[in-house]
Amino acid sequence: MRNGTTLLLLAAIAVAGVAYLTLWEPSLAPAAPALTSVSDAPSAMVIFPVGEKPNYEGVGMKPVVFNHLVHKNRVENCESCHHTGETVACTTCHTVEGNVKGKFVTLNQAMHTLRILPQADRNTPQSCVSCHTKQLQKPKCAGCHSIVKPTRSEIYCNVCHSVTGLTKADIVDGIAGKLSDERKAELAANTLKARKNPVQLQPTDGPYKVMIDDIADKYKANMFAHRRHVNSLMGRIKDNALASAFHNQPTTLCSTCHHNRLLASASPKCGSCHSQRANPDPATPARPQLKAAYHLQCMGCHKGMNVARPLNISCVTCHKESEGQSVARAAEKLGEK
Amino acid sequence: MNRRKFLAILGSAGVASALGTSKVAKAGGGTHTWPYYENSYGILHDTTRCIGCRNCEEGCNKVNNLPKPDNPFNDLSVMNKSRRMTPTAWTVVNKYELDGKPVFRKSQCFHCNDPACASACFAKCFQKQPNGSVTYDDSQCVGCRYCMIACPFYVPSFEYDDAWDPRVVKCTFCELRLKEGKLPGCVESCPMDALTFGRRADLIKVARARIKDNPDKYTDYIYGEWDAGGTAWMVLAPIAPDVADKKHSRIETGHEFKELGLDTHLGNRPMGELTYGALGAVPMIVAFWPVLFGGAYAISKRREAIHMAETEAIVRETKEDVVNAMDAAVRKIAETQGPGAADAACQAMADAMKTREEACAHCGHHGEDK
Repeated sequence: MRNGTTLLLLAAIAVAGVAYLTLWEPSLAPAAPALTSVSDAPSAMVIFPVGEKPNYEGVGMKPVVFNHLVHKNRVENCESCHHTGETVACTTCHTVEGNVKGKFVTLNQAMHTLRILPQADRNTPQSCVSCHTKQLQKPKCAGCHSIVKPTRSEIYCNVCHSVTGLTKADIVDGIAGKLSDERKAELAANTLKARKNPVQLQPTDGPYKVMIDDIADKYKANMFAHRRHVNSLMGRIKDNALASAFHNQPTTLCSTCHHNRLLASASPKCGSCHSQRANPDPATPARPQLKAAYHLQCMGCHKGMNVARPLNISCVTCHKESEGQSVARAAEKLGEK
Repeated sequence: MNRRKFLAILGSAGVASALGTSKVAKAGGGTHTWPYYENSYGILHDTTRCIGCRNCEEGCNKVNNLPKPDNPFNDLSVMNKSRRMTPTAWTVVNKYELDGKPVFRKSQCFHCNDPACASACFAKCFQKQPNGSVTYDDSQCVGCRYCMIACPFYVPSFEYDDAWDPRVVKCTFCELRLKEGKLPGCVESCPMDALTFGRRADLIKVARARIKDNPDKYTDYIYGEWDAGGTAWMVLAPIAPDVADKKHSRIETGHEFKELGLDTHLGNRPMGELTYGALGAVPMIVAFWPVLFGGAYAISKRREAIHMAETEAIVRETKEDVVNAMDAAVRKIAETQGPGAADAACQAMADAMKTREEACAHCGHHGEDK
């Protein structure tokens, strides 16, 4: 065997490579604690809806487990969130009912509001949701998120508002602000351990290419590179923790284009709802006609992601001219001459 | 007709005219002079969607059988300078700049709820139809072009090329197509649904929903909802980035529309309200000024005639008096001095009268000459 040696050598290199990767991976993991904070702030904490009024039943919104470590490393400095300059818990001033210390900004507002007045003389505070919403303007997110806004549903709330192993006694104590730090740390650790990001549908679960030929008349049918597009979108947010946490359904990413439906692997045709309108439809004036539905999705996403190509007005970049059209144009040119 | 009767008629006519004018003025203050048609159609032009492809211009040209333009519709270089509507291009797309980014806006007739063109037209060529369109009927048009001056959007154009029967031309809302249940040509050909057709009331809801869902994308204003008393065509504008950042501290709303060439100072009342009162009085003036001045002329003429008659009567009386006096004198002379002397006196008196009359006629003649 003349090539035997080469084959063996290649195989040996491959085995060595695999072994290197598998053996070294666990040793890479401990590198994470290098991010630990300089301050004494815990890495994760439970935020209870602390109230001032007695609440013996422990009625309130589910507490939130907040990973301080992860967030700390993504903001400019402590004052980005601790807007007063004092590194105290949010619930010190912002309670469920609101009080004079927190300028009657309730806990709910402090965490969720999108309307924050810019402060001229001091630090402009931000809420969890306002900062998260700001992230959607990044080009890698803005493609889909210029078309769809996060649905504020129960599933969306659950991403933050869920604590594993929470008992009623914990809630009552937590709301009263009397829960021990050990128990809080335990709850936070348990929740983070149990927290799992949902597995997304993979590009290979969808078709390789899709023929879009419903309207082809002036231009030829378009062969849409479905997998290439999904690959590109998924690749960009692969390592984004925020996206991984909030894209909480296997089909979340698909639902920008395949919208307004319960997602399954088989999707209906766009033309099922978007008609090739020739007549006005008084029942649904806002629903785009089929051609516009395609264009709004494609161009909306490309514009959001700052994809320079193709130009919006350059039809032939995506659509080949149909024969009839090119013949007519040639005839026109001849006529001009 | 005597003077008293004439004045009575004139007075009652004046009261009637005042009532009529005040009715128009009252209508201007509270209600639409044109009825507001609840179910009228409209079109929402979303400039954030418009890509400036000029397909709408082509669609309009095709469905209205307009002559082919010099430059083909896929020549986008025409947008480098601002264009206006012409008799052969009822809609044009212009390019504007908003913070360095190009924004395209389609211009055409806005089909006002209470059109200013109709308020200015004394031949009543313009009508607001229940389906929302403002139609033009050239059968009575005199070519005064007041409509072109009245229109706050500079829409109507005039066939200056046609020497014999020029008409005012503007977008028709494809009224005939609407009646057939079809969409206007521009809407049908828009590949981006930057033009949304529907009932005006629904479109306002659609526009509000879009603004609500994308507060950082749209200016919080629907141009045409109230401008110039409300228009059937309404425009949404993108928000300027600098405004998006300082959203809560901004003072002037809708400055984006100014950048898009739309006047934001038209007010929220119809243009016609400013002129309906004054223009409503025009028919009254046309009807009553001839009567008024004709009457005044008749009065002075009649007075002159009466004066003449009175003068003549006095002259006649005087003459009779003179003749009677002469008769009496001649009879007295005949009684006292005999018929011969009477004849001589009679002759002398007749001569004297004749001489005097001649002298009078002479000086009268002179007077007339002067």
